[in-house]
Amino acid sequence: MARRALFYVGLVLLLLAVLFPLYWVVVTSFKTTRDAFAIPPVWLFSPTLDNYRTVFANRGFLSAFANSFTISILSSALAVAIGSIAAYGLAQQPAELRRSKEKFILSLRIAPALLFVIPIYYLATRIGALNKHWLLIAAYAFVNVPFAISLLITFFDDIPKELRDAARVDGAREFRVFWHIYLPAARGGIVATLILCVLFTWNEFFVALVLTGRDTQTLPVSITSFLTFQGIQWGALTAAATLIMLPMIVLGVLVQGQIVRGMTLGSVKG
Amino acid sequence: MSTVATASDPTRHFFQPVIVCLTVASVALTLFVIWISLHDLSLMRAGREKFIGLDNYLRFLGDPRAMAALWRTVLFTTLATVIEIALGLAVVLFLDRDFAMKRLVRTLLLVPIIMTPVVVGLTWRFLFDPATGMANYLLSLVGIAQVDWLGSPRIALFAVLIADIWQWTPFVILLVMAALESAPTDPLNAARVDGAREWQVTWYVLLPMLRRALAIVALIRAIDSIKAFDLFYIMTRGGPALSTETLNYYGYIVAFTNFDISYSLAVAIILTIFTNVALLTMYSVLFPKTGDR
Repeated sequence: MARRALFYVGLVLLLLAVLFPLYWVVVTSFKTTRDAFAIPPVWLFSPTLDNYRTVFANRGFLSAFANSFTISILSSALAVAIGSIAAYGLAQQPAELRRSKEKFILSLRIAPALLFVIPIYYLATRIGALNKHWLLIAAYAFVNVPFAISLLITFFDDIPKELRDAARVDGAREFRVFWHIYLPAARGGIVATLILCVLFTWNEFFVALVLTGRDTQTLPVSITSFLTFQGIQWGALTAAATLIMLPMIVLGVLVQGQIVRGMTLGSVKG
Repeated sequence: MSTVATASDPTRHFFQPVIVCLTVASVALTLFVIWISLHDLSLMRAGREKFIGLDNYLRFLGDPRAMAALWRTVLFTTLATVIEIALGLAVVLFLDRDFAMKRLVRTLLLVPIIMTPVVVGLTWRFLFDPATGMANYLLSLVGIAQVDWLGSPRIALFAVLIADIWQWTPFVILLVMAALESAPTDPLNAARVDGAREWQVTWYVLLPMLRRALAIVALIRAIDSIKAFDLFYIMTRGGPALSTETLNYYGYIVAFTNFDISYSLAVAIILTIFTNVALLTMYSVLFPKTGDR
């Protein structure tokens, strides 16, 4: 009995350690400046939406929201479209060929982002593409395609080979098999891959920091503008932080089973 | 290379264009990057670059700031990987039993992993605020004097390390937990029947079964820690007094503060080589050829 109680004490401490920082940020975003910096901290307070008003009055933040939304959806859709075609082809190959291609794809993920971001930045300044959305969509699609391929292969592997063989005997061309059998059968996996790509792109900072201009700033870059030389506006900052992470936490919980599987294939954090 | 039979296999057309594109892009980028690193291209004086051979690499060897950053990267990566694995494994063993809400705990552990890294950095910067932060308040409750977490060159790197541990230990936990659950329970029970004590079962039976999962997650964490950027940028910007500048961060500064493109690419190439050597070493230690697994 005592052991059991001890276990639950430990469990509560673990969850506190994991969740308290998040809780504290969200709670601070509903506090007035005075409550936010009170020592000892105020645990009960009358909530205010002032910080959210400040954030929504900030035009830069709103356009960053739109940019993040457009860039992550379009680049992920592109990556999944390309990735699913390639993954279908690879899934049908003999093990040896397939393993060598998969190894190559994984090896692309080891290089630091610096290595490809600097040349892209340099070329983009040359052709004046630095402030264009397509540059980021293309860059993120390039980053996400290898990831999408590796993850989608694992989903296509779950589809029984007999389905394909039967369709081929009936005279279906490969593309028909892909389109009418594999895509519908792996629908859940494709949605999960898409969500994971969106999640990574939305959260990504380094590539965005270098390749975005004034009109294409994404949320993680935009939020750093609250870190001014005059000091940090913690109220607005915590409200903005809450708005940035909340959609991703919702999406993440939706595909929770796939997240660890996806991240094992190499995270896209840059 | 390819036989006629496989060449006519239509499924090849599905992946080959993509693989060819990725290959061409990565080879072209690599050659371009090496080529630039052999010049003295700088955005500060565009159009007047010339070939300087290996000078950028020699400059790296004689650059105390780069060497310090390389050493710091090694320190940070080692500490982050070892602590996250040890702590994660401890939690997995602790949670290895049936209890109510296990699914919920698993979902909650996911939260730090999917949190935007920039937000994680901000959160910890907030908690580590010397005057009003929660960390110092908690320390004051137990009578410990205030710590200047991010302002002291001796402590700042460890403050960033704490944030990294907070974000990524749950990843280790979830991955190892999944491995543990798919592991067979028969050997454990057999050992118990043979009279092994519980710690012996854990040490001699359970841990060897988890070895593969632990090795994989250690490799992943090492790769990501070497490349860590977001937390450093948000929490310390490499400061104070360069005390948290890692090699990746230094490369960024050289490229986008000094606009010294060639030298920054030399730094990036050295970082890549260093990463690969470290990974191959780790790989051969973690997956020895003679081992049966």
